[in-house]
Amino acid sequence: MSADVILEARDLVKHYPIKTGIIRRTTGHVRAVDGVSFDLHAGETLGVVGESGCGKSTLGRLLMRLEEPTSGSVTFEGVDMYTQRGAAMRRLRRDIQIVFQDPYTSLNPRKTVGDIVGEPFDIHPSVAPKGSRRRKVQELLDLVGLNPEHINRYPHQFSGGQRQRIGVARGIALSPKVLICDEPVSALDVSVQAQVVNLLEQLQKDLGLAYIFIAHDLAVVRHISDRVAVMYLGKIVELGDETQIYDHPIHPYTQALLSAVPVPDPSEKGKRVQIRLTGDVPSPANPPSGCRFHTRCWLAQTLCPLAADGSGSIPPQCSQEIPELVTHDDGAGSHEAACHFARTLEA
Amino acid sequence: MANESHPAPGPLVPENAKASATYQGSLDSITFGEGSALPLNKPVSSGKDRGIVGTNVLPAKHAWTPVDGRLLSVTDLMVEFRTREGVAHAINGVSFTLDQRETLAILGESGSGKSVTAQAVMGILDTPPGYVTGGSVEYCGVDLLRLAEKSRRHVRGAQISMIFQDALSSLNPVFPVGWQIAEMFRVHRGMNKTDALEKAVGLMERVRIPAARERVKAYPHQFSGGMRQRIMIAMAIALDPAVLIADEPTTALDVTVQAQIMDLLKELQDESGMGLILITHDLGVVANVADRIAVMYAGRLMETAPVGPLYAEPRHPYTIGLLESVPRLDSKLGETLPAIGGLPPNLLAMPTGCPFNPRCRFAVEKCWTGTPPPLTPLVDDDSRATACWLVDDPSVRGEGQIAATGGAR
Repeated sequence: MSADVILEARDLVKHYPIKTGIIRRTTGHVRAVDGVSFDLHAGETLGVVGESGCGKSTLGRLLMRLEEPTSGSVTFEGVDMYTQRGAAMRRLRRDIQIVFQDPYTSLNPRKTVGDIVGEPFDIHPSVAPKGSRRRKVQELLDLVGLNPEHINRYPHQFSGGQRQRIGVARGIALSPKVLICDEPVSALDVSVQAQVVNLLEQLQKDLGLAYIFIAHDLAVVRHISDRVAVMYLGKIVELGDETQIYDHPIHPYTQALLSAVPVPDPSEKGKRVQIRLTGDVPSPANPPSGCRFHTRCWLAQTLCPLAADGSGSIPPQCSQEIPELVTHDDGAGSHEAACHFARTLEA
Repeated sequence: MANESHPAPGPLVPENAKASATYQGSLDSITFGEGSALPLNKPVSSGKDRGIVGTNVLPAKHAWTPVDGRLLSVTDLMVEFRTREGVAHAINGVSFTLDQRETLAILGESGSGKSVTAQAVMGILDTPPGYVTGGSVEYCGVDLLRLAEKSRRHVRGAQISMIFQDALSSLNPVFPVGWQIAEMFRVHRGMNKTDALEKAVGLMERVRIPAARERVKAYPHQFSGGMRQRIMIAMAIALDPAVLIADEPTTALDVTVQAQIMDLLKELQDESGMGLILITHDLGVVANVADRIAVMYAGRLMETAPVGPLYAEPRHPYTIGLLESVPRLDSKLGETLPAIGGLPPNLLAMPTGCPFNPRCRFAVEKCWTGTPPPLTPLVDDDSRATACWLVDDPSVRGEGQIAATGGAR
């Protein structure tokens, strides 16, 4: 383990059983997360992107141990998270906190802001003694750009952006080392979204937090992330620096995903090469064999254009062998991608 | 007349204003509520005032023909919501037009009134609490606001149709999708069940749902998000409407599926020549598909322009701020995003003067007092209009040009 790696996920798997019939027999599994490994360094932001249903939120919940994994391990500062119990686990939780997506449902409407932001102190009283709690909460509110005098207000008295600030204040209350942000800005308006993104960046600078930033908005992820992991059907298909992923993507899925994002510039219209993926993400309950992307992969289809009967229209490797996440040359350096034919064709 | 006596000078496009004035004068059966000309910011207490209530009846077989290719002409639309806390002025004098084959994008943040505009045009505003208190919505020369509900039903769906944001909650979960699409033909065209279902299959094929014939009896929950949105589109285009209003059609969808849906809408428009009103908050989606853009803020149009010039040189400080605050995929610039400070205004307590003034970094004395600036055509380019006193201010123009280059600063 290198010195500054604080969180290490290895072969993380989470399968949810599908139960049918009166006796609730397990008839299958939804493979939400299916073998995910990565390192998180202290003070960095790892962006996790992918379409809905690709397992990025489940990954966030696993890292918080809100869910027990089916297999695999997460090591936080050298300690295996899933074997800890009781007081040791509680101590560990202080260092990993989460900010949820929807600021409207993740705050208890019956509690005041002071109660919400101060609740972590009830569970971890050693962080702030009873007498100083109120002052501590006010400091936190000030830190996230809210008026400390609003400590007795209720969530409904705040706008969406302000509520998300409350969620962030609660997340950083215990001075964690890792903050998992699960789509923290996707429910917000463009102008307010920029404010919250700036707040997160400022806090990272001031407090030295490491972020796992889960989002489906590729532009926001690019702005905030140092490294980016692209997920598809429970697996990481490409992992690299922000510039490597965005300027030199090598996995055909990443290339298609990036080309589908509309750029706010009409003069670019028609100039960009657009790759249109057909169909939807396959069900994680019954993922395709081999490379999970082969059913929608434009690259696999271009590689075998001659087979007309349909069955042989993609290389057999794609439909039979599961590609490993290995280092490929990306033209300007190298980073990891899981594709048999990465870089055989330029996008 | 509501338009003339109203104290807030709504943005007026000259030829529209003229057309609607003569038109209103020629109708004697218009019923105006007494309160329709109430000044802004004054609470309306009378529960009897229903805003504009239409009574005109048209023959069911009325031939709708666009006047010089113009389908829709909305002039000085006013909508308010009467709530227990007071009157929220959701739309304060909105004017725009839509031609055949044209795509107009209405861009705005939540609460800016873009969806309410669509609801008022469709005639599906919840009354109470929402009331249309002024203006006109002319479709092919007929003011829809003055039509009786009976006549309006002939327009809704058949002439002007709408796609909603959330396809799952807009579809009925207990009926098969084919049955729901076929309902359009049974109700509006009086077809029998078999024929209507056959038409539904055809429509599902037209919106490119694979294996349409097998899936016609499937229920909404058996479809993915993108496929559900296709079903919504199939229902909306069932009767070949001349105007299609798409209210955030791709907001709930992933980017790859979003691209598919936008392509589909474009293809359908090319096939039928319908006018498309695209309501969205996503500056990226708009840049690729719209012909013209209307930027809304606090129930007013802030800027209208053809798509190219708007992105190349935004002229209204709000548009400038919006363009700056969007993180861009094609470049990573700077550490902090230039965010617009503050929050959108509370519609119950609108600031005096320009509604954007509390968040505007250019605001001067004039912006804080008096009436909001009207939407006026630009001196140097009459295809564009802005509602800003400082439109020709060199510093605003300079910032606009910077914003257009992706905020390189």
